[in-house]
Amino acid sequence: MSRNNHRIYREARDTSLELVTRRLFFKDCFLGMGGMALGSLLGGCNWLGAKDGTADVFNSANPLLPRAPHFPGKAKSVIYLHMAGAPSQLELFDYKPDLARLDGQDCPQSLLEGKKFAFIRGVPKMMGPQANFKQRGQSGAWVSDHLPHFATVADEVSFLKAVQTDQFNHGPAQLLMHTGTPRLGRPSMGSWVTYGLGTENNNLPGFVVLTSGGKFPDAGKSVWGSGFLPSVYQGVQCRGEGDPVLFIKDPAGMDRDLRKASIEAINEANKLSYDEFKDPEILSRISQYEMAYRMQISVPDVMNINDEPDYIHEMYGTKPNKACFANNVLLARKLVEKGVRFVQLFDWGWDSHGTDENLAIDYGFVNKCRSMDKPVTALLLDLKQRGLLDETLVVWGGEFGRTPMQENRDGKTNLFKGRDHHTEAFTIWMAGGGIKQGTSFGETDEIGYAAVSGKTTAFDVQATIMNQLGFDHEKLTYQFQGRPFRLTDVQGRVIHEIVG
Amino acid sequence: MRFLHQWKKLLILLVLVTGVIFSMSLMSSSPVDFNAEVKPIFNKKCITCHGGVKRQSGFSLLFRADALEINKSGKAAIIPGDPGNSEMIRRLSLTDPEERMPYRHEPLSDKEVSTLKQWIKEGAKWGDHWAYVPVEKTEVPKVDNWFFGVTGGKKWVHNSIDAFTYARMQEQGLNPSVQADKASLLRRVSLDITGMPAPPAIAAHFLQDSRADAYEKLVDTLLASPHYGERWAATWMDLARYADTKGYERDDWRSIWRYRDWLIKAFNENKPYNEFLIEQLAGDLLPDPGDAEFLATAFHRNTMTNDEGGTENEEFRTAAIIDRVNTTWEALMGTTFSCVQCHSHPYDPFRHEEYYKFMAFFNNTRDEDTYNDYPLLREYHNADSIKYQKLKKWLQENGKDREKELTRFVKTQEPAINSIAADQLTNSALTDTKWLVLRNKGVARIANVELTNRSQVIYRYIAWKPGGKWVVHLDKPDGPVLQSINVEDSKGSWKIASFTIPPTVGAHHLYFTYTNANLKTPEETGLQFDWFFLTNPFPGKGRPGYDTAQKYFFDLLYAKDVTITPIMMDNPAELFRPTHVFERGNWLVKGKQVQPDVPRSLGSLPANAPRNRLGLALWVTDKKNPLTSRTIVNRIWEQFFGQGIAETLEDMGTQGIPPTHRELLDHLSWKLMNDYKWNLKTLVKEIVMSATYRQDAKLDRNAQEKDPFNKFYARGPRVRLSAEQLRDQALAVSGLLCEKMYGPGVFPYQPDGIWMSPWNGASWKKSDSCDQYRRALYTYWKRSSPYPSMITFDGTTREVCSPRRIRTNTPLQSLTTLNDSAYTETAQHFAYRMQSLGGENLKQQIGKGYELAMYKPITPEKMDVYVRLYYNALKRFAASPGKAKLMSGSNKGMQDAKTAALVVVAGAMMNTDEFITKN
Repeated sequence: MSRNNHRIYREARDTSLELVTRRLFFKDCFLGMGGMALGSLLGGCNWLGAKDGTADVFNSANPLLPRAPHFPGKAKSVIYLHMAGAPSQLELFDYKPDLARLDGQDCPQSLLEGKKFAFIRGVPKMMGPQANFKQRGQSGAWVSDHLPHFATVADEVSFLKAVQTDQFNHGPAQLLMHTGTPRLGRPSMGSWVTYGLGTENNNLPGFVVLTSGGKFPDAGKSVWGSGFLPSVYQGVQCRGEGDPVLFIKDPAGMDRDLRKASIEAINEANKLSYDEFKDPEILSRISQYEMAYRMQISVPDVMNINDEPDYIHEMYGTKPNKACFANNVLLARKLVEKGVRFVQLFDWGWDSHGTDENLAIDYGFVNKCRSMDKPVTALLLDLKQRGLLDETLVVWGGEFGRTPMQENRDGKTNLFKGRDHHTEAFTIWMAGGGIKQGTSFGETDEIGYAAVSGKTTAFDVQATIMNQLGFDHEKLTYQFQGRPFRLTDVQGRVIHEIVG
Repeated sequence: MRFLHQWKKLLILLVLVTGVIFSMSLMSSSPVDFNAEVKPIFNKKCITCHGGVKRQSGFSLLFRADALEINKSGKAAIIPGDPGNSEMIRRLSLTDPEERMPYRHEPLSDKEVSTLKQWIKEGAKWGDHWAYVPVEKTEVPKVDNWFFGVTGGKKWVHNSIDAFTYARMQEQGLNPSVQADKASLLRRVSLDITGMPAPPAIAAHFLQDSRADAYEKLVDTLLASPHYGERWAATWMDLARYADTKGYERDDWRSIWRYRDWLIKAFNENKPYNEFLIEQLAGDLLPDPGDAEFLATAFHRNTMTNDEGGTENEEFRTAAIIDRVNTTWEALMGTTFSCVQCHSHPYDPFRHEEYYKFMAFFNNTRDEDTYNDYPLLREYHNADSIKYQKLKKWLQENGKDREKELTRFVKTQEPAINSIAADQLTNSALTDTKWLVLRNKGVARIANVELTNRSQVIYRYIAWKPGGKWVVHLDKPDGPVLQSINVEDSKGSWKIASFTIPPTVGAHHLYFTYTNANLKTPEETGLQFDWFFLTNPFPGKGRPGYDTAQKYFFDLLYAKDVTITPIMMDNPAELFRPTHVFERGNWLVKGKQVQPDVPRSLGSLPANAPRNRLGLALWVTDKKNPLTSRTIVNRIWEQFFGQGIAETLEDMGTQGIPPTHRELLDHLSWKLMNDYKWNLKTLVKEIVMSATYRQDAKLDRNAQEKDPFNKFYARGPRVRLSAEQLRDQALAVSGLLCEKMYGPGVFPYQPDGIWMSPWNGASWKKSDSCDQYRRALYTYWKRSSPYPSMITFDGTTREVCSPRRIRTNTPLQSLTTLNDSAYTETAQHFAYRMQSLGGENLKQQIGKGYELAMYKPITPEKMDVYVRLYYNALKRFAASPGKAKLMSGSNKGMQDAKTAALVVVAGAMMNTDEFITKN
């Protein structure tokens, strides 16, 4: 067992011990104390009753209590960077010189027969890579010129180049990626993780979602919803504009000290109710109001990136006081530093169909790459320089790939160069959190149409993320509709090929 | 010797007698109970590999017939009466871990094995799970006279409910609590029955009424209040997955609020529960359905519709049908049926094929995931509704045989053929997978159109350019011309028009060709279709009023001022849709065709019930259906006590949590069907009149140790209010509540930036005046982004049926009631009310506020807490008039430090545990 594992294992054990202690403390307080302190009495009744890893771990009295995973995980937290709309792998990582030779030719029938595309109709033309590629670093990973910064850190990551999906519409494909099903109603990955691990930082939510302003992902808030899990596990959206967390700001005219006084009064009144009713739920409410107050103090602080040094702002390419991707990436680093388990970022505008200039693969897409390249690279370097990369799993990807053919919507050639949605192969990369450095797993054919080896799915990606956090993805379950459900449902395989 | 001999005889006799007695005692020992003793062993140790999902070695324990079969090994696992030769017993008892069952798991205990042996010996009889056996009349337990000193020697038991709970308490060593004080009872029962605190007049009347039946009078008053319907409709909306949007990516607006209003009325009219369900499941199939019956069927039109470009309509139509099946089971019959979609039920007696037989009841509806959510009920208003009445009357007199068909068409524009049915497209397309479009020289086909007695075609279209010529051919793209239409330019907006074709017999393919010289490029779209309706020409030609009637007919089709609601409607015969088993649940892999039917383990359709949704509805509401009455009783009980008699409302099957009071559940279910004639208000009254419900909610140490979750009801319910109750209470107590009922969803205060749906410009526009302060159930419900405070307090997104809300207690909830402007505003108005009703004196003002919320005087200790907070706040606001102004709110006359300080007190009071909890 490595030293790192030792440390995590010890932490997990301590957490369990602390839990037991708290529970005893709670019981003693409850039965014996007259002048009860309005302290953090975090009570729990159910969850220790869970006998094995497959039982529900929901504890209604304190659902966010920190819990140990199934085994010591390499990663303590996850930053998932989702490029909603689905970026083209063919212009970024999956270099296909043969496709360039076929540029402008009719797509062979063999690639179209029995296939269905979202918008391509009839016979489209093949379209070569619209970017220049070079091999980078020690690993020799192919990365295009669209990502000059990322090219310098390519050795940090593991590429999955043969990820497949069976959903060619954004909404269902995003849901599949994050909830394990293309339909609505299941919990998202971050919810599962929070349900399994609780939250380490009592003053912050365990699962935070950051969107780049503008639009939400196509699947809406369901991609960070809690599905059938209790709503306490849903992602908390932190916002770059307005209140960083909904209703975190005091009403106009209420200052901090008065807020403190009013929460104290509420809890004093609650204490009197407790004396009358002796309902432990009241104690739980007291601690929730205390936590709310602590969140009011700490969240705006964490969400404020202005106190970061200039060189960090420069590194990430932030824009002051705007909801934008670069700011969110920097925020993500701050959040994991403070113990947030799962940070989910959604960027938008990656749906390069070629139906207008912003969605052109040789224009809008290039701009999107520029705005993503710098902050993502900065994140990896910044985490590394803080010694956090080892315990932070960074995942980058979209919900599907793009076709090697140029899109011809409804059988007509689009105005700008673009690619349609493609389910058969796309690229996702992971870094940190116990993932191998500088490797690539999975290959596509010579034109990047189909995966030929090392095929992986959303379920495999999910299983791997759960594995890095210390979960057997088959064992973290929740009883619903008469059976135990899990994130990966009945599928998923840990991609050991990229696990260090 | 002789004596000895006799002694021996006696001894033998004695031994014999003893033996007989012993063997009699053995015989009389009760046989093994399958449900209580055997099934749990199977479920826990065997069924994962030998059940509905996996069937290792061909062996399954789900049904008796399967379990007794000869398996792949050539042996029978279970031979009734012969445990010695039953392979199952042998395999359970082996020592070799490779052969012993359960394979590679803990062996069964000796006791478990001997239970199974004994059970096989007794004939291996299968037992039915309690919830799958029809409800029988249950005997009410006899309760010895038990006196409770505090209440003056009255018998504690008030009605039959109490007899059941009392018996269980006794078993657990618990004693009931005293009756709650009048004020607590008033608040509890008002919040429970009407979802909000009783208005001051009703409250005062009750508190002053010292007669013995004062409480019953109060209950009757509350049951008669229109707020009763609102409160119970809100509960039902979770089950019905009611939302004001269509869901999925675009999540666009949907007009279905008339269904919500139907629910409110149905509850208020106290529609018997069986009729309530029949109308929602099959109102359209009742004889002569009116608007109300159609509106009821919107229950199952709350399924989602996918408008995302490029999505397969059939896939999402199928998803909607499956959702209807699952919701019918979960919401109405407390059973999780969805697993049967892919395989036989892992634990419960439902076979894979039975899922699709059940689905066949729903699979023949007209809806096809179209953009407009067809079929829609069109409700006319004012002049249009008079036209409709006149048209109907004229048809009755002049075209009796066509009246039904034509009035239905005017009301629903069905049964039409949606243009997305088109195929064989050349230079034409199903644009965005929503509509058929034709470009210059485009060709398209509509297959298998019944033409017998249909020589008029009415269609809805958009023409983008003048000069288009649309030709309809029979059977082939260049087949006989049925009609050639010079399409009138509609300038990009939808129009309805018609033409006639020569009388033709039978079903034919219709081919469309289209040319338009004004289209300059082959890519330009000329004509777009929505639907086609084929019928006979308008009847009664030549009769007086013909022209006016026909004009009314078309006027109504065009009418703009209509309220639309998606409804259920079955396909006409020629559009009948067969149902197939989906192999392993995959809708693309169709297995054998099936006919509509109900699972065999739950009986059969009632005699004479039609084999359609109406027949299904009759089966659901048949007294022999074991699940329907139990489910609703359990659900209503949960609303009062915070948990169901069977805690898993969504699953009463073998994997659900067994009921704490099974006999009570059956007793109330029986009464609901037989004594109350499905009358829900009577059931509600029975519950709230019980001594069980009326108990004080305080815990003592004994109760806390023996029954921390109040499963034995030795104290009154104490539960946090629902999201809806919280909002309604805040509005009521602050005096802001707008009591307006019905109508489209409203938009109370919501922070900016909550709605950011892609491809959908919808924005949250705050409602005006009164509409801002409507009860929670009227709040516009957007699936992809529901009202934040509702979700924070455990509301669900209503994408699918949510059979139970799981209560949580989180800091985000505290933040909501502390800081959400909607709640801050109620605190301000609550403070104004304290000032205006409480007089000059601060303590009186605070005391008045407390009484408005809690109906009783505040204790001195609590008063002290609020007074201290007040002076703390007053000091600050006196020093900072700007903040005082902000805190005290918009009421100009009251923007002083005193008001501001009182607002802080009001806000604190509204955040206390006793305020957000039902005590």
